[in-house]
Amino acid sequence: MGPWPWRAAIELGETMSVSERVMAAAVPVAEGTRSSLFGTLVRVNLLQTWRRLQALRHQSKLLTLLVGAFLAGYALLAFWLFSLGLRFVGSFPGLGALLVERLMYLLFAVLFVLLLFSNLVIGYTNLFRNRETTYLLAMPVSRRTIIQWKFIESMVLASWAFLFLIAPLVLAYGLHRHASWHFFAATPFLVLLFIVLPAAGGAWVSMVIARYLDRRIFQVLLLGGVLLVVGGVAFWLKAEPVVEELTETRVLEVLDRLLAKTAFTEFALLPSYWLSSGILQWSEGALSTALFYGLVLLSYTLFFGYLAMSQTGEFFHEAASRVNSRSTAFWRWSWFRAWQARRQEAHYGPGGLERVARWLGWWLGTDTRALIVKDVRLFWRDTAQWGQTLVLFALLGVYILNLRHFAHQLTNPFWIHLVSHLNLGACALNLATLTTRFIYPQFSLEGKRIWIVGMAPVGLVRVVRTKFWLATLGSLVVTLGLILLSCWMLRLPWLRVVYFAAAITIMTFTLNGLAVGLGAMYPNFKEEHPGKIVSGFGGTFCLVLSFVYIVASVVLLALGSPWPWMPTGRSPEAATELAWALFLLLSLGLGWMPLHLGLRRVMKFEL
Amino acid sequence: MIELEGLTKRFGDLIAVNDVSLQIRRGEFFAVLGPNAAGKTTTIRILAGLMKPTAGRARVAGFDVQHQAIEARRRMAYVPDFPFLYERLTPWEFLRFTGQLFRMSEEEIEGSARHWATRFNLGASLSTAIESLSHGTRQRVALASALMHEPEVIVLDEPMVGLDPHHARVLKDILKEQSNRGVTIFVSTHQLSVAEEMADRIGIMHHGRMIAVGTREELRRQSGNAGALEQTFLALTAEEANLAAAGKRLGSMEREADRDGSMAVEGRH
Repeated sequence: MGPWPWRAAIELGETMSVSERVMAAAVPVAEGTRSSLFGTLVRVNLLQTWRRLQALRHQSKLLTLLVGAFLAGYALLAFWLFSLGLRFVGSFPGLGALLVERLMYLLFAVLFVLLLFSNLVIGYTNLFRNRETTYLLAMPVSRRTIIQWKFIESMVLASWAFLFLIAPLVLAYGLHRHASWHFFAATPFLVLLFIVLPAAGGAWVSMVIARYLDRRIFQVLLLGGVLLVVGGVAFWLKAEPVVEELTETRVLEVLDRLLAKTAFTEFALLPSYWLSSGILQWSEGALSTALFYGLVLLSYTLFFGYLAMSQTGEFFHEAASRVNSRSTAFWRWSWFRAWQARRQEAHYGPGGLERVARWLGWWLGTDTRALIVKDVRLFWRDTAQWGQTLVLFALLGVYILNLRHFAHQLTNPFWIHLVSHLNLGACALNLATLTTRFIYPQFSLEGKRIWIVGMAPVGLVRVVRTKFWLATLGSLVVTLGLILLSCWMLRLPWLRVVYFAAAITIMTFTLNGLAVGLGAMYPNFKEEHPGKIVSGFGGTFCLVLSFVYIVASVVLLALGSPWPWMPTGRSPEAATELAWALFLLLSLGLGWMPLHLGLRRVMKFEL
Repeated sequence: MIELEGLTKRFGDLIAVNDVSLQIRRGEFFAVLGPNAAGKTTTIRILAGLMKPTAGRARVAGFDVQHQAIEARRRMAYVPDFPFLYERLTPWEFLRFTGQLFRMSEEEIEGSARHWATRFNLGASLSTAIESLSHGTRQRVALASALMHEPEVIVLDEPMVGLDPHHARVLKDILKEQSNRGVTIFVSTHQLSVAEEMADRIGIMHHGRMIAVGTREELRRQSGNAGALEQTFLALTAEEANLAAAGKRLGSMEREADRDGSMAVEGRH
């Protein structure tokens, strides 16, 4: 082979500008070791992240301000609420400390499960649906290096919100316990050790899923699994009726029964137990015990972290090959092949969903129905995305179902008010995660398909309107269902049921209008991943406005409730009217207005 | 330089690549043609180590792409039809990054990146974020990055897509130069003119099988069609399709005969 032309020191002149040289220096040279290749990958991705942050700053100062204010506001609010809650629970004579301790165990156990799930979803997407992974697989980078980088990237992506969520709690707990300074220094290390374990578990499960399951089987198993877990949790946490006499005379017995349901959180092999115990012991000054739990965490983290980072390369490659081959290990069974073959057979008629759409939406035009069917199909086929929402709503459903056990004890109107309004808020917040995560990026996701949708005689305005109605009616089924269930469980009179049903209906319209409107106002046709679209200006703006709207609405409705908060109290009618007027005004401003502006923007949209 | 031995890839019942054996010499320009879903991209993806073959093996520069993957990839350049690029990097940074992945020295990276940036006319875009580049420019960045490390084998899947006539010409010239220098080139394309103009040998894939391999003249003779490559291609693939259809009909007749137990079919093959 002849010498390469550029080796002959071709004098091309100084084509690089100073800025190019500065940027070039940001990507230093690898020195020829495996770790340096890993380092190069980390550096390049950090550089990308930094550029992304810079771009956000250049895009809008308002966004930086908004995100900063939101983060600071959340941290302060969470810290205040946690402090208040810890003080309240801790004030129970003789039992406070025990209850606080159990709550900490419970919280970290639940967060462990959520982290595991989050790592599973993000790990799967990052390992098998990521173009960088495919690119790296074709490069002379060892599978081990690829999995090392992807493992750490997935862990950071899946866990940063967890760290942000618990920071105010741990701070509040430390202050509540009057812990010494080293508690605040040691806790972050314990937490960092902890997050490696669900990350390793999530990565491993995601590889097993990729290796053995195709999308359809995964969907079925996910749905079945969620139903099983929800059913199991509902059964396990089924509250036991306690007569009032017993609560007065046999408090400890009642408490024992109550705590028995959460005793699993103190199972000694749960990683959340090691973390909770470490934190609790450290806060009490029992340093040697705390250190012991810290070392337990460290040993497991090192062991599983080492396994994940060094021993999964081949299995990952096998799984990646399977995913690329669109085949599953089930092909070895003839029944599976026969079933797949039946599914592959050409059916020239309309699909089942189309027939349902035709039956339900007979008055709609064929084009509108086609848009609806397309959106529903794309949503259903994106398992990784809707799986998280399903879990959130299922958990809310379990909680609401369990309310029936408390209903007969909720005789005080204050608690009925509080619980019913909190349910309204929780339901709306769940919906907001759905609208921001899925509905907001819908218009942007049309980017690659705009050549067909935009050029069709449907018109983009109708496309956006259809998305709004589909999202609103679809989510209304869930939110209205949950609120009606909540009212039923709380045994509220029908007038109050109508009241809350009206409130959640308006909130559902508003949150969807906000998401669809902002999605059309700030489209991002470059990104293919909905998560990345949401992290832009419009998505962040949508999230913040949704949160502000929900908090403001629930506070307004609670303050202006036509039913008295106290048995002897009475709300003035004027307050109710004013509260509803403000609520409606807010809903119009944050729901109808963005939708209207979004549609106007779409009308002027140039393909 | 590239050796495929009984390469087979099944997706369930579908055989995407069916017992393909092929040897491509050092410095040879090999173009593979075929209708959609013929198995070209699957073959290339196996060659690039992105998926495992169900049977058979592939070697690049003497290294098995599955078991000596790193060594094989170090000697190979692969550009898919829609290459991945880090959107927030500039082309210059991306070229440097690629050089680092291939463990090139700083001097080599600098020299090679400058050379290929100039050859692919990327000078004006070098400090622009990749996300704001046109499709054609991105394609040129990907091609430049693939050539950074002096590959012994270049594997390209539809390399001309998105390139304007000028840059398509530039790429053809570069590939020809590389071939003359002893670099082996394996190109999958639908553009028959590319194969006709540049390839030393042409392979035609259909239904996962390599139904014909040879120079233009050899393919003409094989198809019995003296016209342009287009006619040769159509004749070969039509012949293969007819054979496959006949085989299918025969198969169904046999099954019916087996069911009835009254009919014998002779001359099966």
